[in-house]
Amino acid sequence: MSATFLGYPRENGSIGVRNWVGVISIMDNCNPVTRAICAAVEGTLPITTLFVRGQYGRDLEITYNALAGMGRNPNIASVLLVGLEEMTTEEVAKRIRPTGKRIEVINLQPDGTINAVANGTRKAMRLAIQASGVRRTSCPVSALTIGVECGGSDTTSGLSCNPAIGRMADRLVDDDGTVIISETSEFFGAEHLFAARATDEKVRKEFVDKVVGFEQDAMKMGLDIRGTNPTPDNIRGGLTTIEEKALGAMAKAGTRPLVGVLDYGEAPKRKGMHFMATPAPAVESMTALAAGGCQMIFFGTGVGNPIGNMVSPTVKVSGNVNTLRSMPENIDYDVSELIEKGSKVTDVGDRLYVYALEVASGTRTSSEVLDQRETGISRFGPTI
Amino acid sequence: MPRALVLNRSDNVATLIDSGKAGDACALQGEASGTIKLLSDIPFGHKVCVKETAAGADVLKYGQLVGKASKAIKPGEHVHVHNVESARGRGDQTRS
Repeated sequence: MSATFLGYPRENGSIGVRNWVGVISIMDNCNPVTRAICAAVEGTLPITTLFVRGQYGRDLEITYNALAGMGRNPNIASVLLVGLEEMTTEEVAKRIRPTGKRIEVINLQPDGTINAVANGTRKAMRLAIQASGVRRTSCPVSALTIGVECGGSDTTSGLSCNPAIGRMADRLVDDDGTVIISETSEFFGAEHLFAARATDEKVRKEFVDKVVGFEQDAMKMGLDIRGTNPTPDNIRGGLTTIEEKALGAMAKAGTRPLVGVLDYGEAPKRKGMHFMATPAPAVESMTALAAGGCQMIFFGTGVGNPIGNMVSPTVKVSGNVNTLRSMPENIDYDVSELIEKGSKVTDVGDRLYVYALEVASGTRTSSEVLDQRETGISRFGPTI
Repeated sequence: MPRALVLNRSDNVATLIDSGKAGDACALQGEASGTIKLLSDIPFGHKVCVKETAAGADVLKYGQLVGKASKAIKPGEHVHVHNVESARGRGDQTRS
């Protein structure tokens, strides 16, 4: 019998591992109202953005899709959109509507922020009470999409947390679930190994084009990326080159075939292992994973990176004994036995998979409890 | 005695899983055994050279290319950004 977890069933058949009312800013100038409403209503989650205004073309489409994608995420029971004016707010609303979930709207024009906070608080309160009526029920793990991420990496990452996450990813894929690995630049030097896992030539070429294209874009700056990636803390942790970092980072994708390549924030259309093209910084990358529908993110860290995603509970996994000692409040799962005792990756990864289903069923993560959460949609071009 | 992991037999570096001091005998584990004398202090998680490596030679870890030696590196030496160059994302080396 395949594994199960306790999740929240949604209108469109997807399954949430959390049950929040998402309060979503349509643009930067709405964020203070969004935060005020969330401060007033328990059970809401502020989902903010720094752009939209001034964006155009592909960038604007990415931002609208990412905002709507977080609203579509199965962890969100219903949404309150906080906009400046009707037209842009509708752009996000219409991208969430196909899920069938309840959508409420407030706009700051023409009644001002005090009325917007008051009206938004009333609407959010009703949504929160309604959402609290949904009950967890037994669901197959095939309903899960897990993002795999790393940050604050060091040389322990490729030896411990990332291989353990990779084993968990293999187990989920074997149970007909979905996994997404992101962070395009963290394939520089390892892309040949991952490309060889593509199920066909089309997928292989899409993946390689994303990696090579991103590297060429970066090189147009005329600079050595070392110091930015690997970062200063990566280098302090012993990582010497992006190639070394990439070979360790790729371990969190396990060993199963690569079935699909996704754009920033795009949702997978099938089960199995996917690659999503995103910048490497954790906040931007995890925002894209949440927008793409990941209900959870497993995050390997070496020297320690505490940030979690707002919508997608983020599980911090580390095998660095020094970090586990110095910042224990920021690590959810200790895999140091891989280095200290020579434990088998399969055994540790299998236990991590059991833990993943506990988190899916409601066990909270450190970044949720400490509210170390942030949203940041990548911007690829200028605003005008 | 500090320990260092060799991940592939072809590797010319090992990763320290303890911190090491110059003169320490470091125990090699994983795909190699024996000890190597550290020629300088090497922090936890950093790499030690385990095979004579010429300037310009490949630096291998996981059996894969992780960079090129920017100078000759002796067994026991600290291997890091001071003696290894990356080949990727090198916009500084392109000419317009």
